Amino acid sequence: MTNQEILSVLAEAAGNPKKQLHHHLSQGRKVVALAPVYAPEELIHSQGFVPMGAWGADLELQEAKAFFPAFICSITQSIVELGIRGAYEGIHAMVIPTLCDSLKVLTQNWKHAVPSIPLIVTSYPQNRGIPAAQDYLKSGFVQISEKLEELGGTPFSEEALAKSIDLYNRHRKAMRELSSTLGKHPRISARQRSDIFKSAHFMRKEDHLELVEGLIEGLSDQESGGLPHRKEDGPASRTRVITTGILADHPRLLNILDETGFHLVADDLAHESRQYRTDAPTGGAPLDALVERFCKQQHCSVLFDPGKGRASYLADLATRENARGVIYFMTKFCDPEEFDLVPVKRNCDAAGIPFLSIEVDRQMSNFSQARTALETFKEMIEQRRM
Amino acid sequence: MYSLGIDIGSTTSKGALLADGNRIVATALRNAGIGTDGPEEVVKELLRASDLDEGQIGVTVSTGYGRTLYPEAHYRVSELTCHALGAHFIFPGIRTLIDIGGQDAKVISLDGAGRMSNFQMNDKCAAGTGRFLDVMAGILQLRAGDLAGEAALAESICPISSTCTVFAESEVISHLAQGVNRKDLVAGICESVATRTGSLAKRVGVTPPLAMSGGVALNEGVRGALSRYLGVEILFSPLAQFFGGLGAALYGYQTYNKEN
Repeated sequence: MTNQEILSVLAEAAGNPKKQLHHHLSQGRKVVALAPVYAPEELIHSQGFVPMGAWGADLELQEAKAFFPAFICSITQSIVELGIRGAYEGIHAMVIPTLCDSLKVLTQNWKHAVPSIPLIVTSYPQNRGIPAAQDYLKSGFVQISEKLEELGGTPFSEEALAKSIDLYNRHRKAMRELSSTLGKHPRISARQRSDIFKSAHFMRKEDHLELVEGLIEGLSDQESGGLPHRKEDGPASRTRVITTGILADHPRLLNILDETGFHLVADDLAHESRQYRTDAPTGGAPLDALVERFCKQQHCSVLFDPGKGRASYLADLATRENARGVIYFMTKFCDPEEFDLVPVKRNCDAAGIPFLSIEVDRQMSNFSQARTALETFKEMIEQRRM
Repeated sequence: MYSLGIDIGSTTSKGALLADGNRIVATALRNAGIGTDGPEEVVKELLRASDLDEGQIGVTVSTGYGRTLYPEAHYRVSELTCHALGAHFIFPGIRTLIDIGGQDAKVISLDGAGRMSNFQMNDKCAAGTGRFLDVMAGILQLRAGDLAGEAALAESICPISSTCTVFAESEVISHLAQGVNRKDLVAGICESVATRTGSLAKRVGVTPPLAMSGGVALNEGVRGALSRYLGVEILFSPLAQFFGGLGAALYGYQTYNKEN
């Protein structure tokens, strides 16, 4: 396949999760949906399910309003809205972690609003650095495994889990490599980059890995990646930036990033690269490896970090990737991200890295202000060159 | 060389014509913004006032929310960049600019060389903007331009919510029903805009000298309240409403010279 063909397949998958779900079901596969932010995907995969990400959708909230106050994360609200509307019909279970207050609320609302789809709650320890946290997490994973078996999954097997961990580690490595490769290819648009990452939540990891490896190979073959020039695009005219936040996948927002002339050279989005930073160790007991993986994850707003290492991580990432600025997509009413905003901005300011925060949510309809802010940010960065 | 800047806002269109990037030849304003013939009327007025024809204009730059809707422009630039340039042109050395327009408010930090170093926009709400003042003036049967004079005669300030225009409207009606003096209410309304915008400015950081731009800058009641709230003097120019257009013209002049 050519790079363009691979990108088209990934865009199709990213834009049509329902089609992906129906495809999995038509193949006789069992599907489990995963709410943000982290889930033991390898475990679910090893017991014969296709894990599919459920990060909500951009839609007008109607039915979900009966279950939530107005001032709560619209990602969680849109998950319930989709559930009530029947978008998840056919899945075997919804896995919801309790990594933030909104997700905790989501677990209870899901039970009442969508009683037809079983709920699996994953409870994570806050202080992940102590042995008790690992014991607690392991017992939680055992409970999940038992529930999966009750729902028709194959019994837990260390051998199967080790194979799934190996697959997921290879996929994570490929996604990290791809992100690095995309930083050298300004012809890949923000929209295409988002499609690559978003499609990973909907496709089988086996299939996604194959396409990603093909894309990495294709992009390394030639400087242009065999891709057409983007409109008004001399590579030098694109401004290198990194993005951070929970998610930024609205096509109109991504189009504005492209039209304004940004090149996303790396990201720290929970929906994208944060999923792929940490591998599970191999060689030991596979369930312990999953536990260790979660406990080792760093620099994420929903994972307890008293030192707020994300702030210096981002400044270092921007420097390493030669980025000219940091764009913080602030999900409206997301407390963990609000808490991180201040240290991240302070660190960027101290490092002399231009910083922009833009509020986003799952119900954006007017993008004028976002466009003005992004255009101004680009102009501000360009002024510094003069 | 003549450069023309056209600032197409939500409620008004403003333009400025510069000669050689350093002399203001003409300015023009129409109370008609996006989606009207306001921009064309402003350009006509600029040409009439300067006794020039279109062919003599070297470069045209559009800015404001309607910047993409003016096809004659050679460049389209965000209004924040243009307001910063225009403010620096009028007040060299300025470090903070507060721009309150018809539908939004912005705070811009400038470095010592007049380059934008940080900015913040209001949060998609009419509170603290010109629209808020228009609505309040309507309830009180005043014109927005009369608010400052009315506020100056207040004996005390009647506090009005700065959170939401709709809530504030109900609040004003409630105060009127209780017989509160209209002048005191107007002073409260100006204070409400100042508080809202002032808190936005504090998020960016206020470094003097500070100036205001945009239509609301003409309202002495808001300026005074904002100055008291922030504890700094606010520089004012009668050209405050034209900073965007001036900055656009200046941007055009500088960019044209760089590229040619």
